[in-house]
Amino acid sequence: MYRVRQNFLAGARLCLAIALLLQGCTAKRRAEAPIKIRWAHDPENLDPMVMANQTAIDAINLLNCSLLQADFTTNQFAPALAEALPTVQLFGDSLMRLQYTIRPEAAWDTGRPVLATDVAFTLKLMFCPGLPNAGPGGQYRFIREVLIDPRNPRRFSFVCTSQAVEYVQASGDFFILPEAALDPKGELRAFSLAALQQRPASAPPNAVLEALSRRYAAAAPGQTPARLPGCGPYQLVKWEKDRYLRFARKPHWWADRVPHRPFVLQARPAQLEYAIIPDAATASLALQRGDIDVFPQMPTREFTRLRKAPATRANLNFYTTASYDVVTVGFNTRRPALSDALTRQALGRCFDAAGILQGSELGEGQRTVGLLNPADRLNYNDSLAPVPFDPAGAVALLRRAGWQRGATTEAGWRRNSSQGPQQLRLVMRYRTDEQLFATIALQFQAAAASIGVPVSLQPTESGAFSMALRNGEFDVYVRALRGNPFMFNFTPFLHSQAIGAGNNTGFSTPESDQLIAAIAAANTAPRRAQLLRRFQGLMQQEMPLLPLFFLSNHIAAQKRLTGLHPTSLKPGFAAMAIGEAAAPPTAP
Amino acid sequence: MGRPSHPVAALASQSLFGPPKWAVAWLGLLVLVAVVAPVLPLPYPPHVPDLAHIAQAPLAPGQHWLGTDAQGRDVLTLLVFGTRTAVFLTLPAALLAAIIGALLGSAAGFWGNRARVDISYGAVVAGSVWWVLRLPAPWLGGVAGALGLVGVATGGIRRRKLAFRLPLDALVRGGATALDTVPRLVLVVALAASAGSISAPGLLVLLTVTSWATPARLVRAQMLRIRTLPFVEAAQAAGVPAWRIWLKHAIPHAIRPLYTLFPLSLARLLGLESTLSFLGIGLPPEVASWGRLMASYRQESSAWWLFAFPSTMLIITILSLQKLTNSRK
Repeated sequence: MYRVRQNFLAGARLCLAIALLLQGCTAKRRAEAPIKIRWAHDPENLDPMVMANQTAIDAINLLNCSLLQADFTTNQFAPALAEALPTVQLFGDSLMRLQYTIRPEAAWDTGRPVLATDVAFTLKLMFCPGLPNAGPGGQYRFIREVLIDPRNPRRFSFVCTSQAVEYVQASGDFFILPEAALDPKGELRAFSLAALQQRPASAPPNAVLEALSRRYAAAAPGQTPARLPGCGPYQLVKWEKDRYLRFARKPHWWADRVPHRPFVLQARPAQLEYAIIPDAATASLALQRGDIDVFPQMPTREFTRLRKAPATRANLNFYTTASYDVVTVGFNTRRPALSDALTRQALGRCFDAAGILQGSELGEGQRTVGLLNPADRLNYNDSLAPVPFDPAGAVALLRRAGWQRGATTEAGWRRNSSQGPQQLRLVMRYRTDEQLFATIALQFQAAAASIGVPVSLQPTESGAFSMALRNGEFDVYVRALRGNPFMFNFTPFLHSQAIGAGNNTGFSTPESDQLIAAIAAANTAPRRAQLLRRFQGLMQQEMPLLPLFFLSNHIAAQKRLTGLHPTSLKPGFAAMAIGEAAAPPTAP
Repeated sequence: MGRPSHPVAALASQSLFGPPKWAVAWLGLLVLVAVVAPVLPLPYPPHVPDLAHIAQAPLAPGQHWLGTDAQGRDVLTLLVFGTRTAVFLTLPAALLAAIIGALLGSAAGFWGNRARVDISYGAVVAGSVWWVLRLPAPWLGGVAGALGLVGVATGGIRRRKLAFRLPLDALVRGGATALDTVPRLVLVVALAASAGSISAPGLLVLLTVTSWATPARLVRAQMLRIRTLPFVEAAQAAGVPAWRIWLKHAIPHAIRPLYTLFPLSLARLLGLESTLSFLGIGLPPEVASWGRLMASYRQESSAWWLFAFPSTMLIITILSLQKLTNSRK
């Protein structure tokens, strides 16, 4: 009897030990498991100079730091690498000096401190020939000089060419790169920023700049960011193209030493994994199975369905915020048939924005007259009316543009111009797997067909889509432009300087260029608002872009996650602030 | 051993044991619907989204009897026009594949590796292929073709003809084996992906090019038997030209297995087209397809009707074609 009891007790102990071991393993695995976030497409390029798309920006944000970063708790810019927001000094009526001091704790992965020389070096890189810097080069031209304090290597001032209100924030919104890794001998210091900015494209090659360009190309930060030391909280552990990117928290990140660490320097998850799932339906299933933890920018109909279903409501949290993502149609103004505003206006009347917003987005979102969010009451031009859905009006406009309809439906619209006879026949591109864009394209195709304009649809895979837009291989496209409430610099995608880079429509007029420059340089908010209102009117008149409506931002996440901080700012939540709630006690 | 019966007679005898009536009726209905689809009084055109009724269930208000898809298109209309696509894509593709396969397979079986081709004809064919495929320096193809044509024109007055031996059998068998080594779906997906977007005629060519191997192999095997039959030998002894024996006497007998194979080829092509459309790499978005309609179920997983109706049609069609095949064996 005694032996039986002994055996029973030994067996019970063994079972308990196995159970505890298993429990321990599970808990450990749970603690080490990465937070998995869905991305719709691969970032393609992690070069901080290129910032190819929003996913790339999100990834680069984990690897690098800028002086200022958006704080999702306040929706304002807050100091990140910088100790504080810049102090502003105005000189005369056109010069402004912005003084920053870098935090004393800030350091690269190599242990070297982040210094003012790194900031000056990064700015100079934006204007070095042979580097992929067309985007930032156009954006940061307003900084004419970097003055480094000789007594404090972490303190410096930007000398700006105007007193524009938004330069205060824009001056700190670029990722700082390490000088020691790319220019160990400091050869670029011999060049002033102004000299590089004014260097003509036809200037004879310079050995120092060429060597720098070669070193940058060899570092290939776009594909192998690990080769360049960063100062961000994470490092890229693995990048399987079109499958996933995994980031691991640096064990000794410099910001861990910052006392009273601000929100923008939070980095809570030990690992972050971005799973690339282009198909929204597949991503939704993955979320329901628990294969991913966060699904940002979830399609409205699927979001509504899951929110109503009891099974998913028990496991998921649902968040909705307004967004600065505006669904926009772009016309290739370099095409002879689309080179005149009247034709573009006519085609603009073939989009039933109100119908699509109601049908596809269930009314969640906001119609707009321009690229500015209607919630921005100061700057939004409410005296304009949204472009109506009016095929009959489109026909009248086409006739005014000189088009003549053929005798038969198949004949379409033709006109004679100085460049020869033209026919109105369009190719429309949009990203595959984007149901909303597919609906817009179909609606446009049907409306255009009803007035005799043939449109062929080309759903295009994400990478090929970006390339097609860059190469001008489209007549019309539809996509979402992602904006923010801080800056109104339209240079990267509407200025003549950006043709061939971000200005995919190829649109520019002297008037629009002047207006864009004036908006960027406006030194008071009311003056800027006045210019922005004029700009919206001009854009509606010229219509290289037709903003249809602003989207709502829908996020679904596993219930155990905390601290998502849903926000209107992109990417819509704070990935680095996500935490995990303690597991609820198991029921007996 | 007597001459085999005429194919027409064979067909007539087969009709006595005819295929199931329901299968014939269904396939006939599909062909009829495909032909008259543009003039049918459907309540909605195929590609006009009804934005007020997106993903609406069947028989709900709005006159969409079979509901709408995730873009607001009428499911009934999409099914009808999907039928048109299925019939007008797979039927010509199967026919063309059968014709190409029959010609290549019968030629390979009849002549084997002993065929001698006049160099002029060879130059015309090689030059044309060079030109059409836009190989480097396409003018070379033009020159070769022109020289070949001159050679053909002057062939009658030349005493000695220049000819080369063409290993036709090895070429056809090699081509067919090469096609068979790669799974058909993988091959078509790879070709479609390399071409970027693909039009309906493009898909027709793709389906044809990847489907000729099976008919070619069947006809070649049949031809190897037929070329030894007495009536072929008798024709040769009578001095009938070889090409005439091949075309007029041998081919009609060699292609008999294709009568049985044809419905099965149709079923395979229909399945392939639906799979491609389901994967989103087939037809352009403005061409209705059962496969794409099924795929749209993934976008609206609560809309069962997006999967149920097209898949039912596909299943019944493939079953009908298989019944037709079985009845002909």
